[in-house]
Amino acid sequence: MPKLYRSVIDDVINEVRELFLDEGVDEQVLMELRTLWENKLMQSKAVEGFHTEEQQALQAQQQQQAQQVQQSQQQTQTQHQVILPPQQQAPQQQVIVQDPKILQAMNATGMSFLQSAAATAATLALPTGVGPYQQLITSQGQILQVVRAANGAQYIIQPQQQVVLQQQVLPQMQPGVQAPVIQQVLTPLQGGIPQQTGVIIQPQQIVLAGNKVQQNAQVMQTATMTTQPGQVSAAQVQAQSQQQQQPQQQQQQQPAQQQPPMMLQVDGAGDTSSEEDEEEEDEYDEDEDEDKDKDGGEDGQVEEEPLNSSDDVSDEEDQELFDTENVVVCQYDKIHRSKNKWKFTLKDGIMNLNGRDYVFSKAIGDAEW
Amino acid sequence: MAYQLYRNTTLGNSLQESLDELIQTQQITPQLALQVLLQFDKAINTALANRVRNRVNFRGSLNTYRFCDNVWTFVLNDVEFREVTDLVKVDKVKIVACDGKNTGSGAAE
Repeated sequence: MPKLYRSVIDDVINEVRELFLDEGVDEQVLMELRTLWENKLMQSKAVEGFHTEEQQALQAQQQQQAQQVQQSQQQTQTQHQVILPPQQQAPQQQVIVQDPKILQAMNATGMSFLQSAAATAATLALPTGVGPYQQLITSQGQILQVVRAANGAQYIIQPQQQVVLQQQVLPQMQPGVQAPVIQQVLTPLQGGIPQQTGVIIQPQQIVLAGNKVQQNAQVMQTATMTTQPGQVSAAQVQAQSQQQQQPQQQQQQQPAQQQPPMMLQVDGAGDTSSEEDEEEEDEYDEDEDEDKDKDGGEDGQVEEEPLNSSDDVSDEEDQELFDTENVVVCQYDKIHRSKNKWKFTLKDGIMNLNGRDYVFSKAIGDAEW
Repeated sequence: MAYQLYRNTTLGNSLQESLDELIQTQQITPQLALQVLLQFDKAINTALANRVRNRVNFRGSLNTYRFCDNVWTFVLNDVEFREVTDLVKVDKVKIVACDGKNTGSGAAE
């Protein structure tokens, strides 16, 4: 079945080559598309044995080298260990950042570096069922946490507290995609933050700058979001209005929040209620009106118990975030029912069960309702 | 036009994510991405019809069923999927099935 996927990829890439050329898009972009596609497939672990031999050898080599580096901090690494431009990227378990200058150079390539390089490197070292989480080891031996949400956005958290990076993740709108949503507050950085999306890496700090920086720097990372354009703008509007209402409150929170390394929030997308609760206690008088409008609904619900708590039709949509939704996508030949006995005759299907992919040309099933 | 049904699969989603990344970095236009997806639809439909030749059986209990716009959606519980080689058990599975006769005008997913 990996062969099937490979052949589909080949077909698609070959067929669209012409389309790309018609639009004047470089062949290199086509190759990048292919690489991104294949990498994501590999990372998903839904397909076994998908690696080419070459990539397997590369992986084995890198695993060895990564282990060596862990023991001694200042080894000279080969080029494999440095973050490569997207086309050459192979999956790595750890990304070793050797020289701050390299990082600054990488900044010049813009966010695409982070997306494709770190993103494709990120997820191999994960425990199953946990959101993507990767460690960057700097040449000084600092261990930084890189968190990658499934939508491709990157966050780097530094344990030492010169700067704490946090960003607000826009809720992931696609069904079936598991994205831990992290809400964060960005502390002000030295000087102005340039109005660009990029990674600025300086010897001891790593800063992620979005392109909508305001004075108190609640930054939204908009350019790297992979949600649909319509949904991005809706979420932007929401986030922007939140930004405007909380400028003062953000500053007061920053000293407190600089301490702990950022924890992955898994319980609810775009949740802001904890922040608002804190703020309310401190400054209830000041922004009474705005907070009331925003929090009235939320607080009312939480304190009085959700009004739907005694409903008999259970809402199963919020099952554990990291469960695979087992899905079968196919075509039906015949669906038959007698009383409550159903018979299914299906064809040409792709199944994702317990995280793994299967295909069938025919499927026959029985069920009782 | 082939069914867009298969876009929400590992293969399809990884393609969509990759395309989205390229759009964000403005390396391709959304229009081009759409064309790629349409091409993907054709390719996957053809591949499934021609290159796959295995049978699967399954049994479980039906939790819900829906038939709308000629698309069946089922949710089954405690299901066993059986192929000659192996057996897979799941607590819950959602089956989305488009009409298999003369794939017609290609329902959107």
